[in-house]
Amino acid sequence: GKWKNKERVLIFSSRGINFRTRHLMQDLRTLMPHSKADTKMDRKDQLFVINEVCEMKNCNKCIFFEAKKKQDLYMWLSNTPQGPSAKFLVQNVHTLAELKMTGNCLRGSRPLLSFDPTFDKEPHYALLKELFIQIFSTPQYHPKSQPFVDHVFTFTITDERIWFRNYQIIEEDASLVEIGPRFVLNLIKIFQGSFGGPTLYENPHYQSPNMHRRLIRLSVAAKFREKQQVREVQKVKKNESKVLLREDPTEVVFETPAEEKPVEIQLVKPESKPIVKDKKKLRKIQRKKQKKLFRTEA
Amino acid sequence: SDSGSDSDSSLSDSELQEAFSRGALKPGLNVVLEERPKRRNDTKGLKQCLSEFRQQLAWVERLDVTLGPVADPVSQSASNKDAVDPENDFQREMSFYRQAQAAVLEALPRLRKLQVPTRRPDDYFAEMAKSDQQMQKIRQKLKSKQEAMERSEKAKQLRAMRKYGKKVQTEILQRRQKEKKNMLNAVKKYQKGLSDKLDFLDEDQTSSQGNKKGSSSQRIKKGPNAKRRYKNQKFGFGGKKKGSKWNTKESFNDVSSFRSKVAHNKGPRKGGKKALNKRPGKRARQKMKSRAR
Repeated sequence: GKWKNKERVLIFSSRGINFRTRHLMQDLRTLMPHSKADTKMDRKDQLFVINEVCEMKNCNKCIFFEAKKKQDLYMWLSNTPQGPSAKFLVQNVHTLAELKMTGNCLRGSRPLLSFDPTFDKEPHYALLKELFIQIFSTPQYHPKSQPFVDHVFTFTITDERIWFRNYQIIEEDASLVEIGPRFVLNLIKIFQGSFGGPTLYENPHYQSPNMHRRLIRLSVAAKFREKQQVREVQKVKKNESKVLLREDPTEVVFETPAEEKPVEIQLVKPESKPIVKDKKKLRKIQRKKQKKLFRTEA
Repeated sequence: SDSGSDSDSSLSDSELQEAFSRGALKPGLNVVLEERPKRRNDTKGLKQCLSEFRQQLAWVERLDVTLGPVADPVSQSASNKDAVDPENDFQREMSFYRQAQAAVLEALPRLRKLQVPTRRPDDYFAEMAKSDQQMQKIRQKLKSKQEAMERSEKAKQLRAMRKYGKKVQTEILQRRQKEKKNMLNAVKKYQKGLSDKLDFLDEDQTSSQGNKKGSSSQRIKKGPNAKRRYKNQKFGFGGKKKGSKWNTKESFNDVSSFRSKVAHNKGPRKGGKKALNKRPGKRARQKMKSRAR
């Protein structure tokens, strides 16, 4: 048949990514035959430069990975000329190369996309669903694609995040094995334009990783400061002038001193116990003899 | 802004107390989170954007399915089916798996109707997403894991067997010893002439059979003489040997076996007059010796 749905996705990243991100990017390029690669973008350039890069490569969708502080990974999904676009924080990345994921699929086969019913309930999720469908589904009759449908991408919303899984379809009765990769997307913002424009949606449950780390540090510091404060209060209490109570004669009335014991002076050294080196040695020898007899008899 | 119990300007002490009594505050120093201004949620804008962005494509181009997970036959109650605990890894992954299953079950018949192939024929060889080398590595890892498990299982079984085997072995040894003892007794009996049956040569004959046949001669009843029988009873047949040859109070005071006629050699001679080997006493012997010299 003829290839009509001309979708091309540009998958690339900024500088400063680590090996896991690089492998994830390569895995996505392997799984999506309608993708194109590009060199790393310098972080000095602004984000709307990406739109020009996409135009040069003749792509109408883009997946851009941005790494900050060598710790946090952000992912942009965008429809390049007009928008919309979305920014996510990526967590829990597992790549195709992990040995625990035993499934395999044809390179370039078309995926089935499975969505949580929660995606239809909110307008921002509906928009994200449309974005995912257009980016991740391989066009039919794409020259690099295989005609079989043998794996399924799952997008689920749990714990205010979007979980991505990739399963291989083994049998017609829907027995599945995971292929990989795996990641979790935490939505930050949805923009009307591509890599810019007015903000359509901000995720209220999103907490930037910096804020998260800061809060942890603050709570630890707060615990320490609390301990210090308690110690200071105790010090102040100790140094307060103490009130001396007058001696109460009625308390001492019933006191009777104990009887004096006669002082005993030991003149003779007490007998030392005989040192038994090994009580069990005799018994051990006996037991060994018995065992020998037992064995020879049997 | 950090907080100490004194330096809070935004909340008064009474408000803090109320919050604490409600349970909103925990004891100890609390850190105040700054509440950002309301988050943007432009529903209208989102819907408009979606309507502009949406592509009208045939389902076969998109291949998307929106379904909840397949009902789990193992799940406990209907009420907490929706509440998948995200911290419980296994439950979470199983819910993803079941969602994928539901999608596959729904989509495969549709694809078959649209004549899109879903099964790869066996002679269709094409490049796979993971290289053969990678798959080999995975297979190796699975095999090694399985082997390790089998090895540990075997070791456990061996340990259990050894314990059981030890019991069985002691039982067998005891049985052998018993048999040996019985055999030796039977041989001794035959040697003594007590029983002239060579039953012990035929193995595994029960003792009841031997008793039924009955003894042939009178001699068997008496067996060894009285002295021998008494000694067998006192010292023989195993049991505690250590203190058995000592005189006890009862045995010492027991003079029932004293026959005064026998002791002084005065009684009637039983069994005919044999030549009495009466040895002379010490004095008589010494006299004989000195006289002989």
